[in-house]
Amino acid sequence: MDAGWDRVSEGNRFVSDLSLPLEPASRGAPIPTSSDTATPVSDPDHCLFTSMIERFGDEIYRFACQLTGNGADADDLYQETLLKAFRAYAKLPTDANHRAWLYRICSNTFISDRRKHGRVSPMNDVMAATLSDHAPDQARALDARDLLRDVERFVDALPPKQRVALVLRKHHEYGYADIADVLNSSEAAARANVHEALTKLRGAFSHRMEV
Amino acid sequence: MRQHDLPERYASANGHTCHPVPDTHLNPTMDQFMTNPTSSPALTAQGSIPSDLAAQAASSATDPCDLAEAVMPDLVFGDLNQADEDWVRGHTITCNYCANVLHSLEHVCSALDECADDVCENAAARRPSATLCLGIPEARYGFMKSPVGDVLVAASDQGVVEISYLNHNGRHESLRELEQRGYLVYERQDRVRPVVDQLQEYFAHQRQTFDLPFDLGGITDFTRSVLERTVHIPYGKVQTYGEVASAIGKPKASRAVGNALGRNPVPVIIPCHRVILSSGAMGWYTGGPEIKRALLGIEGVSYAARESAAQASLGIEG
Repeated sequence: MDAGWDRVSEGNRFVSDLSLPLEPASRGAPIPTSSDTATPVSDPDHCLFTSMIERFGDEIYRFACQLTGNGADADDLYQETLLKAFRAYAKLPTDANHRAWLYRICSNTFISDRRKHGRVSPMNDVMAATLSDHAPDQARALDARDLLRDVERFVDALPPKQRVALVLRKHHEYGYADIADVLNSSEAAARANVHEALTKLRGAFSHRMEV
Repeated sequence: MRQHDLPERYASANGHTCHPVPDTHLNPTMDQFMTNPTSSPALTAQGSIPSDLAAQAASSATDPCDLAEAVMPDLVFGDLNQADEDWVRGHTITCNYCANVLHSLEHVCSALDECADDVCENAAARRPSATLCLGIPEARYGFMKSPVGDVLVAASDQGVVEISYLNHNGRHESLRELEQRGYLVYERQDRVRPVVDQLQEYFAHQRQTFDLPFDLGGITDFTRSVLERTVHIPYGKVQTYGEVASAIGKPKASRAVGNALGRNPVPVIIPCHRVILSSGAMGWYTGGPEIKRALLGIEGVSYAARESAAQASLGIEG
């Protein structure tokens, strides 16, 4: 089931770990500009790295938490995001959309880390575990915490692009055009990633949700 | 085909009455997903959020359940327009299967919310500081007024990192330069108070030497050696570029010395204004010639004094 969707994702240009979203010209994606954001830039020193982190650090850190699912990995991802951003920052145009740029670095870092280090349990195993560990009658006995832990485990096994797309749509109010921008994919693939993730989740957990 | 979406017991127990779409009605772009029974028609690469669902459902070729299921995520995210939302909600009232799909999806979404809340608990307090993440020093800056215009002052834990004449360099250029030297820059007027105080005393003729360490992080070795030599030129005295070049063992490098002094990040404290041309003319200055003249004026260095110093240096070199 994943194969078809991986094709959709792979069809889009893969942003490697080393190529920051700084050189988008070579990949045809423009650097987002601040006119894209609703918030006006009021800080006179908005061009400073530290000002950017003061403005967007909290939401990027939450993003890292949601992507990784745990504090230690979130700290690593956030730190790596800041390191890459600081190195590339001097070359970023001052009118660039810094928020979108940070999201993109964080997403790319997460996706490439996952590709490099992989995940021990492929989706099918997690799915099988989720479905077989708890027969329907047992499910009633499980408390909500177990369910959340299993949902978290399941989300953790999603293909990284699907997870990024889901987190952006679900928790950061990103529309599909913006998700496509972050993932450097088409809008169609962005929507497909979100729908696919939700459909898998629904399929895996519907029998355990109180109906 | 929908029966494959859910475990058999679920699909059969929900009283679903709608009929699967015959394969002949599938358009070619869907075919690639049909080889996989669990793929939903919602996930065809149409991308944009569908609209006019009622009209599509009215066409005999389209199973309303397929339509409804395909837009369920759009419904829970509020991406559907009002008419389409009304249509889907109306459909779920008449169709148990789709009602269950929506119900499960809503549960999944609230579980995701709870997971996110869990993992984000105290996120703002837990977030590591940029200083910790990057492992580089902080430079805190503030501002002061002076007889030579507004001045930006910045200091790290090691010492003064930047003194910048704002009528000459923009505030942003100065601060971004500091970042490029490898500092994290924060505005903290209180942290530069000792620097401001001593500079004020200097401008008020009440101070001749500075009791302040300086921090030349991000400065090249040659520039650093020039600056470390220049700091020893006493108040009220001048030396030529050639003399400084000789003093660092590179007598032919007076032009390079001039360039290095032009990159002095802490003028006044490192008195590059006390270095002049061998003609006795002032030469270039990081804040512009007027400021160099003003600083030499504060220190009582007249044109005549510069000229005789220049003559003396030529005599020495000659």
